[in-house]
Parts: sequence; C-alpha cells; structure tokens
Amino acid sequence: MDWNATLEFARGPFFTAALFVFVGGLTYRLVRVLTLGWSRDRVPSAGSKAGGVAKSYGKGLIIWPFVPWVKQTFAGNAVTLIAGGIFHLGLFAIIIFGAPHMLAWKSMLGFGWPTLPLPIIDWLAAAAIAAMVALAINRVANPLLRKLSGPAEALNWLFVFLPMLTGYMTTHHLLFRYEVIYSLHVLAVDVMLIWIPFSRISHFVFYFFSRTIHGAQFGKRAVTP
Amino acid sequence: MTKGSEPQETIYEHLRSKGVSRRDFVKYCGALAGTMAFCGVPAPVEASGLPASLAGPQADATPLIVRAFETKPRVPVIWLEFQDCAGCTEALTRSQSPTLGDLVLNEISIDYHETLFAAAGFQAEENRDAMMQKYHGQYVLVVEGSIPVADGGIHCTIGGRTALDLLEEAAEGAAAIISTGNCSSFGGLPKADPNPTEAKGVWEIITDKPVVNIPGCPAIPEVTTAVLLQFIVFGTLPELDDLNRPKTFYGQTIHDRCLRRPFYEAGKFAKSFDDEGARKGWCLYKLGCKGPTTYNACATIKWDAGLSFPIQSGHPCLGCSQPNFWDGGGFYQGQSAPLNRPGAAAVGVAAAAGAVVGAGAATANRMKKRRAGSAEPGDEDA
Repeated sequence: MDWNATLEFARGPFFTAALFVFVGGLTYRLVRVLTLGWSRDRVPSAGSKAGGVAKSYGKGLIIWPFVPWVKQTFAGNAVTLIAGGIFHLGLFAIIIFGAPHMLAWKSMLGFGWPTLPLPIIDWLAAAAIAAMVALAINRVANPLLRKLSGPAEALNWLFVFLPMLTGYMTTHHLLFRYEVIYSLHVLAVDVMLIWIPFSRISHFVFYFFSRTIHGAQFGKRAVTP
Repeated sequence: MTKGSEPQETIYEHLRSKGVSRRDFVKYCGALAGTMAFCGVPAPVEASGLPASLAGPQADATPLIVRAFETKPRVPVIWLEFQDCAGCTEALTRSQSPTLGDLVLNEISIDYHETLFAAAGFQAEENRDAMMQKYHGQYVLVVEGSIPVADGGIHCTIGGRTALDLLEEAAEGAAAIISTGNCSSFGGLPKADPNPTEAKGVWEIITDKPVVNIPGCPAIPEVTTAVLLQFIVFGTLPELDDLNRPKTFYGQTIHDRCLRRPFYEAGKFAKSFDDEGARKGWCLYKLGCKGPTTYNACATIKWDAGLSFPIQSGHPCLGCSQPNFWDGGGFYQGQSAPLNRPGAAAVGVAAAAGAVVGAGAATANRMKKRRAGSAEPGDEDA
C-alpha cells in the first residue's frame, strides 16, 4: 500500500471534505433545533435571566464537578466524574496546546500561539487514553450505564479513542513506520469530524446552547403560564 | 571520455596501463570496501560471475572487489538529461567517496553526458548511438530529469527527438537504469500541480527493466556512486524499497537519524530561523520540517564530505526524496497542517448548505405538525 499517497489523501481532499461535512452538519443540526419553535414569553421576569445563565455556567462547569459531595456526583459514579474530567481536560489541552495541533490550527486560522512542552502533553495524553479505557469498562460494568448504551455509544467511544491512540503512537513512533501511523491518525480524525455532527459528540457545541437556555429559565422569576 | 579506453579491457588492466601498481590497486580496493561500508558480502555473488567462496556475512569484501576489478571491464554509462536543472550532475561532481574523477577514470566509462561532454550536437548524438549499439545489453543508463508525455512528449526535445522517444530507445538496450534525483524518480518539480507537461518518472514509463530510484533534490552523490559500484562489483542492484529506492540509503527517515531529534523528544522547538533555539540545535519541526516522513541518508552521509546537511545548518527538511514533495503543503508550514487551507468562502458555503437543509427539515416538520392538526398554542408564533 502506498502510504505516502494515503497520507496525501488524508491531509488533502479527505480532510477538506470531512471539514465541510463537519461545518455543514453542525449548522444543519443547529438550525433544525433553533427552528423547532419557541414559546412566547408572556410574563416579564422579575429576576435576571443573564444572572441565571452565569450561575448555571459557574456552578455546572466550574464548581459542582470539583465538589464531590454535592448532588452526589461523586458518590453516584466516581469513575464517570474523575475519568470523564481527566479525559476532557487532556483532550482539550492536547488539541489546543500540542505543537502539531497548534500548527494545524495556525495553517487554517493564520495565527498561532505558544504550546506546552511535550512531556506535559504526553502525560495528559496518556492520562486521557487511560481515562477513556476506564470509561469504557465503567460503561460495560455499570448496569445502569449498560442499559443506556447502544451501538451509537460504542461508536462514539471508538471514533474518539482511535485519534487519541494513533496520535500518541505517532508522537512516539510506536509499532509502525511514521507515515503509516500518521496516516491512520489523520484518517481517524477525518472520520471523527464526519461523525461528530450526527452523534452525541456534538454536545461540545450544543452543550453551551442547552445550558444557556436552562440558565435563562432558572434565572427567570415569574409565573409560568 | 571513451577515447583510448576500450571497455573490454578490465578495470585492473586499465589501472595497470595508467601505472598503478598491484599493491596500490589492492589498497584502493580495500579503501573502496571501507568507504562503501561493505559489511560482509551479500550472497549470492554468482550473478556477478564471482566465486561463491567469496561471499558470506563475515567475508572480507576486499578480495571480492579485487576479483571483480580483475575480471570486469569498466561499465559503460549513458547519462540522459531531460526536464532537469543538472543539479544532480553538479552534486555528483562533488562526490567524495569515491570521487567522480575516481569513478570515471577507474570504474566506469561515461559515454554520453550532455553537461560533462566536450562534444556537442550531431557528433555527440552519433557517439551515443554508436555506444548504445556496441554495448547493447551491457550499459547502465542514468536518467536525470522527468519525462513529459503530454502532446506526444513535445515539451522536451533534444536534437529534434522527444525525451520519451530517447528514453525508450536507450532503455531498450540498458542492463540497468538509475534514476537520479526526484525529477527522474517521481517527476519532481516539473510534475508539480498543475503539471502542464504531464511529467513522469522513469519507472512509470519503463516497466520491463530494473529501475533504481535515487530521489533527492539533488540526489546524494555518494548514493549514486555506491549504486554504480555495487553494479560493477556484484553485477547486481541493491535491495530496493517499495519506491525502488536502495534500502541501505533510504531505510530510515531523516528524523530517525537527525542530530536535533533529542530536542523533538524534549519538546524544544526553534520558533523562527536562526533564533536562539535554532542555534542551540533545537528541533525545526515548527518551521515545517518534513524529516519524520522523509526517507534519505542526508543525516548520516551528509554533504560536501560530511560537512553538514540542511537541518544541521538550520533549515528544515523539505522532503525532497519523497514523491510529490512540491505539492506536500508549504515548505515552511507544519507537517501536521492540512495540505490545503480551506477558504473561508468554501467553509461558508458548507455552513450555508447545512443551514438550508436544516431550515428545510424544520419546514417539513412544521408542515407535518399542521397536517396532523396537533399544533400547540404558541407554536405558530415561533
């Protein structure tokens, strides 16, 4: 197999196509949800909706996850909280502050930024990969999660896990020739980009919309018709 | 260059006629074995007409080279240049071990070379034709430059004949073909998008002969001389990778043998040309280095008698020994970057398409709702 040609394909036309599907797909989902219809706000709110939104983000994103006893998040399923947190932290640190990823952003946005040293990125990557494995085991082992999980969940996990695993292997030149594992990494990323809009991984966009709307509702002080 | 030197005369006889003593001859063979880094002798050697007793992993290569030079005539070489810049020839004249001088005076007989030849015009063409006829099936054909095939190949003609025609004619009688440089190996610069001449590498055109690709821009001269020497000594071509490159020289990436590699591992990168990091020897990955995906021997053989190579001198690897390296993204763009920067307009079109489909789906949903007659109060206000 001609891996140089595969790499060119993965970095070239396939990536462009995947990016278009990603952007077009997310816009489609967003427009579809936003045009579902809004209830008319018939009663003026005595409270601050914006304050509710701020509180919602502050609590939901910054405070609650780090206070184990609140809402029983920790007691309920510690693995979900800890491994989920480590995974998200590692993922975003790597995507934004890993040198090769910053260069990819730079080529598309036209500007770059400082990156984290490889040893730090490396540990975050290893931790994120281990967290993903823990989350997969947890999902299978926990009877409640097992009931909630279907093939889509397995695919979500797979399409995120493959880029992370191949990315780690690419950095360390493990098992395969560099252009082989690098091609696999880029292919995995391309597939993930295509998959995201049509899966629950799209929560990385929709989470913010839903939390904003919920926050506004929480902040509202009025009789709900 | 062939005047007065009959290739039927063995290399040893040729050297003796120039006054080289037996002792110096054997010393020279030993030096060649050393400079070519022959570790043992690859079996079988029968193909080269040499006794099997000289082969084996522990065998000393010197007697084999001595025997080969005693029994073999100088190898006739025909060197054709097509869509090229003569850079590979320029590089070859700077080969250090062996030097081109050694090679030409001792082991090979270059019978046609447009750049090095004193003769020109019809005289040179006639000489080439005569040599191809005389040494049919014996000569080594070295090709420098790509071959255009568009419009019947008219984009490169020499003496009124197309490069394609000249190549096919010369390849027909060649014992082996060596493509030196990226252009003759993979099309090189002339093949870069949009490739108006439909430039091709030799091995895409000549498929019934062994073709050794020695890509690079230019090719490392010692690799060319080493391949020629192997052909002279063993009568064989080196073991090749899937792109027909000698594995000995193209078996590892530049990155694998790079002197800046430890800094890659440590995550220390030069941020701009000749900044403090670059001078301290830090990795040039962020300056667009293509070392991780480039297979060549620059980091080990280096250039100008082992003086330096681009990365050592502070310039990132361009990946010049890989196919399509001119179209492999910007030279100074990170290797992890996508090959093409998607335009904002194109991304906008994708988003607009998504929005249109989304709006269409929403409209369809509403119509469905209306038809079902189950619209809730307030929905129509949306």
